Amino acid sequence: MRGFLLYLFLGMLAVLLRTSVFPLFFSPGFCPDLLLGLIIYLGLSENMLRAVLLALLLGGMQDSFSGSSLGLSVFVCLSILLLVRLLSEHLNVESPPLLILLILGGTFVQQFLLATCLVLFADAGAVLQIMLPTLAEQLLTNLVAYTLLLILILRLQHLFGYRAGLAGLIYQSKRHGT
Amino acid sequence: MRDLLKRYRNLFLAVALLLSILLLYSYNLRQRTATTFFERAVLTFAAPFQAAIDGAADVVNDWWQHYFWLVQTEQRNSMLEQENRQLRAELQQVEEFRLQNERLRQLLAFVDDLDRPALPAQVIGEDVSSWARTITIDKGTRAGLRAGFPVVAAEGVVGRVIKVAPNSSRVLLVTDASSAIAALVQRTRTRGVARGQGAKLTLDYALREADIQIDDLLVTSGMGGVFPKGLPLARVVSAEKDEFGLFQRVELVPTVDFSHLEEVMVVLGEDR
Repeated sequence: MRGFLLYLFLGMLAVLLRTSVFPLFFSPGFCPDLLLGLIIYLGLSENMLRAVLLALLLGGMQDSFSGSSLGLSVFVCLSILLLVRLLSEHLNVESPPLLILLILGGTFVQQFLLATCLVLFADAGAVLQIMLPTLAEQLLTNLVAYTLLLILILRLQHLFGYRAGLAGLIYQSKRHGT
Repeated sequence: MRDLLKRYRNLFLAVALLLSILLLYSYNLRQRTATTFFERAVLTFAAPFQAAIDGAADVVNDWWQHYFWLVQTEQRNSMLEQENRQLRAELQQVEEFRLQNERLRQLLAFVDDLDRPALPAQVIGEDVSSWARTITIDKGTRAGLRAGFPVVAAEGVVGRVIKVAPNSSRVLLVTDASSAIAALVQRTRTRGVARGQGAKLTLDYALREADIQIDDLLVTSGMGGVFPKGLPLARVVSAEKDEFGLFQRVELVPTVDFSHLEEVMVVLGEDR
């Protein structure tokens, strides 16, 4: 339960940073999407039921702070979570560059699903004109932000001699008991 | 059949869950201005944190911009600099109050012209996504706000309230892709629909033969009943006519600078 609440707290923190702090320094396209990282991390490290529940709540949280109707981000978050879970069976997810690649893939899938849902359901053609130019910005921003974050986490792990904190390692150990 | 269900149970469950969420989204789309219990709960819970983070971020930002680069000078003249900094801080605060006062006076003067009651509000957050254009303000149902109320700044139209919680509300900016406002060119009274395009707007349905010049001011037409008539909305930056077609392509920039928006006025629905 404590872990569950911690994830919710981290999700809320990510959303509040994105809505109240990052806009002071960056334009909308250059704000890192920290919630995406959290969803991918959930897909790699948590058990299915817990991860799905958290993805639903975090997606709902994102919808509450966005101009979209409730359900859009929930759908996108859940889809990304399921995809990550599916992929994690076949990839060596403990490799840091692969985690970055997952983030980039996640960003791409996120934007694709958002655009598809908006066009199919909301008839919002102009959204595509806003989204497409910011896709490259979002990919670059997430690449830089998550690379820095990963470097920081790995440095801290080296410093404190704790190596099993990487998402992939936790997943592998839970999955295969290593 | 049972074997098939057993074998692909997880897949069926995942697909069913995704489909039900899509249904939920589709249902919520029809009631865009209705705030769900979940949204109200999240916004209510987050409002004080958002206001606190916004305040703290402002202080850090102010400190960063005004003092960070003076560290070396401070080392050379620590005593003088410290005194200077204190005075600067006080002056800065006074200047900040003066500027805020000025902005609020402008807002009040602007709202007085509307002849409708209005409520001042502080911008406490922006949109969590990079494609939607909305802001969060620190007033909600407890202050009498309802979905649909127009929001203005001294420079012109900001947008309209789309979601309300007890102590905060979400405002759809005029630059959002789902925003469309009936507008007219102030000089020639040419009608059209100003549609959001992210950073800019376009004027749809402006007839080909209409006289539209660069720098023309667009104001709200009052059609649709949301925005009062005559509020400044945007300025024309380009107007192009294709060889064929009924309408011309007109690009606009909003009169309000959304990147520096701090205070807004919510125009309450009823006439005074």
